[in-house]
Amino acid sequence: MATQYAMNDGSVVVVIGSGAGGGTLSNELAQKGIDVVCLEAGGRLRFEDIENDPGLMHGRMGWNDERIGAPVWLCKTVGGTTVRWTAITPRFQAHEFRARSTYGALDGTTLIDWPLTLDELEPYYDRAEAKIGITGTHEMPPSFESANYKVLKAGGQKLGYREITSTRTAINSIAYDGRPACQQIGFCMSGCRIGAKWSTLYTEVPKAEATGHFELRTGAMVVKINHDDTGKVTGVVYRDAGGNLREQKARAVAVAGNVIETTRLLLNSATARFPEGLANSSGHLGRNYMRHVTSLVYARMPGEVHFERGPRQAGLIMDERFHTPQRGFAGGYYLEAASTSPDDLSGAIAGWGREYADHMEHYSHMAGIFVTGEDPPQATNRIVLHPEKTDQYGLPVPVLEYAMHENSLAMQRHANERSEALYGSLGGKLLAKTDGVGVACHNMGVARMSDDPADGVTNRWGQTHDIPNLFVSDGSVFTSSAAANPTLTIVSLAIRQADHIAERMSRREL
Amino acid sequence: MRYNSLTRRRFLVAAVTFSGVATGATLLGASRAWAQGSAGPDAAMTRLARLMFPHDGVPNEVYADILDDALGATAADGAFADTLDAAAAALPADFTALDEAAQVEALRAVQEEAFFGGILFAVRLRLYNHPAVWAVLNYEGPSWQRGGYLNRGAGEIDWLPEAD
Repeated sequence: MATQYAMNDGSVVVVIGSGAGGGTLSNELAQKGIDVVCLEAGGRLRFEDIENDPGLMHGRMGWNDERIGAPVWLCKTVGGTTVRWTAITPRFQAHEFRARSTYGALDGTTLIDWPLTLDELEPYYDRAEAKIGITGTHEMPPSFESANYKVLKAGGQKLGYREITSTRTAINSIAYDGRPACQQIGFCMSGCRIGAKWSTLYTEVPKAEATGHFELRTGAMVVKINHDDTGKVTGVVYRDAGGNLREQKARAVAVAGNVIETTRLLLNSATARFPEGLANSSGHLGRNYMRHVTSLVYARMPGEVHFERGPRQAGLIMDERFHTPQRGFAGGYYLEAASTSPDDLSGAIAGWGREYADHMEHYSHMAGIFVTGEDPPQATNRIVLHPEKTDQYGLPVPVLEYAMHENSLAMQRHANERSEALYGSLGGKLLAKTDGVGVACHNMGVARMSDDPADGVTNRWGQTHDIPNLFVSDGSVFTSSAAANPTLTIVSLAIRQADHIAERMSRREL
Repeated sequence: MRYNSLTRRRFLVAAVTFSGVATGATLLGASRAWAQGSAGPDAAMTRLARLMFPHDGVPNEVYADILDDALGATAADGAFADTLDAAAAALPADFTALDEAAQVEALRAVQEEAFFGGILFAVRLRLYNHPAVWAVLNYEGPSWQRGGYLNRGAGEIDWLPEAD
């Protein structure tokens, strides 16, 4: 019998969202015997629901509610974006926690240093890597070398790169934790049919359920967080699967709805006491929205690669990750092997006619790179609520306002040039790259950590500066984006936050 | 106007036959009933779609089927029918009688027009997601049912230079 908590049980911690942040936090708390109610807006997929069909799966798990502005890839499903992610997991570097000190002010940015250091986070990175089973860490061997990776490696070597690795991927290279090794299926972004790729859907969530200290409610769209006269949060109001408004009482609330929805919920919870939204006395809520510098690069190689025969991403070049100002920009980036399906590729290549068709008929000759690099925060890059438009829940539609900083544009140009040179060194011809804002992104910022409450929304634990029993537990708390793909850091911060919440509870401070 | 009137008449047939990915000749034949005997604009539009993405191994029926699907998807407001009408009006009257080079020339003359981009997008999206086209691209599609590519070519590549 699954654990169930009463709506008026104010002893539970309510976690909003079941992805990398919320799913991990829920399980970590439940493992300590802390009672958790996790509210997930989406439904729960079974392995047999997961098909190798991107369009079908986008309908089954994508967050397809109205949204205005730059494209994002949220998921409304148990597991959140860990169902869709491509599982590349480098750690942040020490200097990236000191972005402001290392890069300087950078005109137009709102850079500050993180209120924590790599040293402090390293033990949690270690625990996260063990939990997930990251290749090249602990007992997990490096990932299988796909042909796409071999092209990246050969071209990288031609360019003199030295740190080229098929590790740092959250896809099992051997059976681990009750999940099988990767079978090189190639449809990671449609969800992993066999569970070789880590997702909270079939790791953290069922593990939490097994403790007897966890209840997952699906189809539960949270619309508001309530507070009392003392300014502490008391519970959350959500629309259940039947469309009815319910209120779950709580001793503490952790928000992990992925950047856009986290912002929207806190803004929508504004009251007379918190007129600009919950935990927004700094005015930073929704601001400093970062997406990473990205580019999808595809090249036609002189021989067959069949890049679809392997994970969407596996293996990366790490040499460009450092802060090397001589390149003309602050911060660094990674070059990560990436593949895609014909329909997606067809949208990336420009043109029409015989030459275009000939490129497409050489689909098996394609190789690809996904660039991920540091994107500095700007106050004007932000999520706001539409003044009039509402969605099917009656909630204001979110609007994403985002423009790339010149530092990000310079980094993107550099990464594109290096990618073109890499493929060119093997006789390949570049067919597509991203110039400017792309469809691929990682959502970060909007409730950033800061020591000074005037500089951000949360403190070094992801606890909001304004409300002691309100936490943020997703990529929203990132003070700066660093170059690395964000999920490993989200998971590590969630583990750390769970330790902190448990400690505070044991001291009766929560 | 012609496409608008045609669309409304045949939409039900098209919607039914394109509900899945079935591409059997019988189904295609049924859905293409509208085109038989109307060698004018229908043939021109099918030709237009092929010239945008000319794959010699892909039969005409696939291009026609894709136009049908795009018409069906916007049948409520007739948006794609309007787009085809605009294309038909802009192309030379003897378009289908021209040789390929002249046809491509005619398309180049209108490639900046909104209708051209609209047709390009609608056709491309469907064409490269079409199992009948995947074979021409040497792409096998869904793979979990066959155990992925682990024992079917994953990691194989024979033309890379030896590492220095």
